[in-house]
Formats: sequence, structure tokens, C-alpha cells
Amino acid sequence: MSSVNPGSVRAIAKKDFQDAVRSWLFWGLSVFFFFIIVGLGALVGYLEDEFSTEALISILSQSTRLIIPVIAIVLGWKAIAGERESGSIKVLLSLPHSRRDVILGKLLGRSAVLTVSLVIGFLLAGAVVGIMIGSFAIGDFLGLLAISIIYGIAYTSIAVSISSLTRSTTVAAAAGFFVFALFYIIWNIMIIGLDMLRMQGYISGVEYTFTANGNRFQTERLPDWALFINNIDPGNAFANALTLTTEASGLEGAGMVQDRAFADGIPFFLQDWFSFVVLLLWIVLPVVVALLWFDRTDL
Amino acid sequence: MAAIEANALTKSYGQTLALENLSFEVREGEVFGFLGPNGAGKSTTINILLDFIRPTAGEVSVLEMDAQAQSRDIRQRTGVLPEGFETYDRLTGRQHLEFALDSKNADDDPDELVERVGIADAIDKKAGGYSKGMSQRLMLAMALIGEPDLLILDEPSTGLDPNGAREMREIVLEEADRGATIFFSSHIMEQVEAVCDRVGILREGEMVAIDTVEGLRDSVSGGTTLRVSVDRIDNGVVNEIRALPEVSSIRTDESPPSLIVECNGSKTTVLNEIEEQGLEVKDFQTKEASLDEVFRSYTTEARV
Repeated sequence: MSSVNPGSVRAIAKKDFQDAVRSWLFWGLSVFFFFIIVGLGALVGYLEDEFSTEALISILSQSTRLIIPVIAIVLGWKAIAGERESGSIKVLLSLPHSRRDVILGKLLGRSAVLTVSLVIGFLLAGAVVGIMIGSFAIGDFLGLLAISIIYGIAYTSIAVSISSLTRSTTVAAAAGFFVFALFYIIWNIMIIGLDMLRMQGYISGVEYTFTANGNRFQTERLPDWALFINNIDPGNAFANALTLTTEASGLEGAGMVQDRAFADGIPFFLQDWFSFVVLLLWIVLPVVVALLWFDRTDL
Repeated sequence: MAAIEANALTKSYGQTLALENLSFEVREGEVFGFLGPNGAGKSTTINILLDFIRPTAGEVSVLEMDAQAQSRDIRQRTGVLPEGFETYDRLTGRQHLEFALDSKNADDDPDELVERVGIADAIDKKAGGYSKGMSQRLMLAMALIGEPDLLILDEPSTGLDPNGAREMREIVLEEADRGATIFFSSHIMEQVEAVCDRVGILREGEMVAIDTVEGLRDSVSGGTTLRVSVDRIDNGVVNEIRALPEVSSIRTDESPPSLIVECNGSKTTVLNEIEEQGLEVKDFQTKEASLDEVFRSYTTEARV
């Protein structure tokens, strides 16, 4: 069991920041996605007469939800496996650092790089779009930026953790993009599958009634545990957390959890604030796995 | 006091034994040469000293601390030039040194460090453009930070030209004069010969010899070859000489008449005995076994 030394973590984070911030691949991706975001904003502004920050936030949140995991995984997959593959980890660990300092320092360093790129990207995109449409809801925009950073750190943690579990950067990259595909494709299919099972009667749903346009409707939803599985996806957690930090409508009620479906009130683990806990767990749990595993393994 | 003490170290990878029951001690303040052909287990041993890998069995203490439990404290007081490392391409030499200074809470001057290892003009260039030898020098500079009590140098001459290897040896000797213990591995005997107080020879994961350079020479049969020109050959005398405890074998040569004696002990005793037996010694030459031969005899030939 090795100890954690804050000074070591700081030294590694600083070095790692200096190193990763000079990665052309990382900046290439960031610039590429920046143009996508600005392009989308411009497109929406062109198509809609009444272009609003709300619409922009909605579009931005959709695209960042997809883009951030890609950037974070590309930024993180080599964090430790790459150093083991090349042998530079020997430079790091010849110095008085513990394995745990390395994991934490790497996570800090790479999170800082991602944060810098997000801040720059958002400010640039905001400026460009702001000039285009004249007015701008800065509060919503900063809310989106804040949640994006937390979301990005969660995926960085996942990527750095994966990177510590293998000696091969190829395996680390494959595993990173598997996690990405897991949440973007498999997770959604799984939820649809669960809903189909409910409709077939294999899963007992929860009945509820609601009133719309003066008519009462009776319908059924997935049970709490299935909705919770849906909310575990970092992407969904990101979307749910956004409803709290931005005023933008269109995000409100977009998820599967809606007030009217819960006669006794929404259980705490399905409430929007709990998505912060989910994001936090996505930062903490991968790192804990990495701390435990990387401490024991031979380099 | 022991700077390094390895006790019954074993490291296996599945069925393959990389180290088998390896025990040795490096004394404080000495320059210890850790010698063996490639694949003998030198880097495995060093990786265990630094807690890069964990032994399957056995214990190691470095600077009287447990190599696993107190690895950070050990590395705080140790300078390391590892084998098979790579520097950070995107960082300059200065950034490497600043990182190491930060890591060790030391305040050496980066410019003096690079001056000492001979890459002063490259300090602000990115290490990605360094040659292997320059990377090796940069890593040595990092190892020298904070006047470490122990220097662990794994194949330090890798990538260095003969001039660079000589400068490396000079630095090793300077550090030894300062009082540091130096543990350095090599597969080339002559590098070790020039600087080491003692040498351990590793072969297939086992320490087959550990001694001073002279001791190793003497321990190999035919430590010294003595060629004595005499006035005539006398078989009786040859048998008398062969019976001496100092002599491991003797041959004769006819023109000019000479005795070729493989000698483990005092050469004077042998020469005196030849004269006492009534032969006239006209001339003699000695040829010491080169350490390279000693090394080869330990690591390749079957020893009896």
C-alpha cells in the first residue's frame, strides 16, 4: 500500500499538464469540435428567425454530450499505459512518487488540460455566436460550461483508470471507446429493451394517471430501478444536471423521469440533483479502482 | 552498514524464473558493479530495488529501509538511471530537471547539472529531439539531483560513445568520492573494472561470484600466466614445479626453452623454486587474465 503525498501529486499534475497540453491530437480534436459547435450554432441561427440562447444551449448540450467523452478518452487513454509502453513511467517512478500519486496527478493534470480547452472553446463559441445573434444569456452558458467540465472530468477519470489497468495503449484505446459505445449505443438499446419487456409483461411497470387537455389518461412507466439504470449513464446524468444549472426550456422534462408519473413524489435517486452524485461517482469510482489496481501491479 | 541487502530474492513469471534465491550485499560507500550478460536478471533485480516490480519471494532493503513498504523514502535518497526508459518528447531538458527538482524538493541549479553531464547547449530543446546518448545524460543529471546517498545506474553507458562512457565513469568516481554508494549494472566488464570496488556476477538469475576485481581474477584458474625462459627443460624439475600449491598447470615450450605456468598465488615462489631446482631463469613474462576472460569464464563456460 502506498501513500499519497500532495506535493508529489502536484508535481506530477504540473508535469502532465505541460506534457499533455502540447499534444497536437488533443488540440486538433478540440479545434475540430469547436468548429462543429460554432457551425451548428450558425446553422440554427440561419434556419430559425427567432434565434435564442435557449436553442443554442440545447444544441450545444447535445453536441457536447457526444464530443466531451471523445476528447476525454483521447486525452486519457495514453495517460498511464502510454508511459508504461514507452518506458517514461520509469522516469516518473525513479523519483519519490508513489503509484497513487501518479494516478491522482495524472487525473488532475489531464482534467486541467480538458478544462482549459473547454473554457477556451466555450468562450470562443460564445463570442462568435453572441456576435451573430446580438444577445446572449451568459448565466445559462456558464451553467452549461460548469456541467460540461464535471462531465468531462468524469470521462477523464474513466479514461485514466482504464489506462492504468493495461500495459497496452491499444487495449486502453479499445476499452475507452467500448465504454463510450456502451453508454451511447448499448445503454439506450438496453433501456428500450427494458421498456419492451415491460410492455410484454416480463417487467411489472408502475401505473399512473395524468390529465392533459382536460382528459385523464392512464398509462404505465418503467419501475424506479429501471429508470435509475437509465440515469446512471454519465450522458443522462449530464443532461439531468443541466436542467438545474440552465434555465433553457426544452431540457426540462426531456428525460424519462417526469413529475406526473410519480404519485408519491420522485424518489431521491431519480431526482435531478442526484445526477450530480452520479457524476461525482463517475469521477471517484474509476479512480478508486485505478488506485487499488495500479498499486499492486508490476510495471 | 549495508546500502543494499537482498535476501533470497526470487522472481518468477509463470514458469520462467527470472531470479532464483538471489542474495547479496552492497556496502555503504562502495562502487558495486553488477555484471551479467543480457537477460541474466540485472534489470529485474534493479526493478525490485525500486519497487517497479514485486519479488515472488525474499526481501530487499535499500538504505536500511524495506524496498516495498518504504519505497518513496528510498527513492527520495536515491538517484536512478533506469534501463529502457524514455524521456518526455514534448518537454525540454529544463522542464525535466524542474520536474525532478520539484519531486525531490531539491534546489540544484539546472544549468550546473546539464553542464556537468555535458548537454548544456540542449537544455532548452525538447527531449524528443535528443539522441539516445543525450537522453541518457539528461537522466543522469536528474539522478544527480539532491546529492543522493545511493546511485542506481542500470547500463549507464547505453547509447554513449567511448568519450561519453569515460565521462560517465568520471562522474561515478566523483560521486563515490563525495561518499555516495554506487550500484551499477553492465554487461561489459571493462566498464566495471575501471571504477568498481567490488563486482557481483549474475548468471541466469543467480549470483555466481562476488568479489573485488583482484579477487575475481585470482579465483579463476589461470589467474596469471607466467612464461619463464630457462636454459634447459628438465622433466624432473617440471614435476616438482607442478606439485607446488600455487601452480594449477604447467606446459613446456622447446624453442626457446620455456616453462608456461598457470599460477594462482605468489609468482616469486614459483620463480624461486625454478632456480632452486637448478635451472637458470633467463627471462620471464607475466600475463594477467583480463577481467573479460574472468567474466566469460563465469558466464559462459561450465564451471567446475
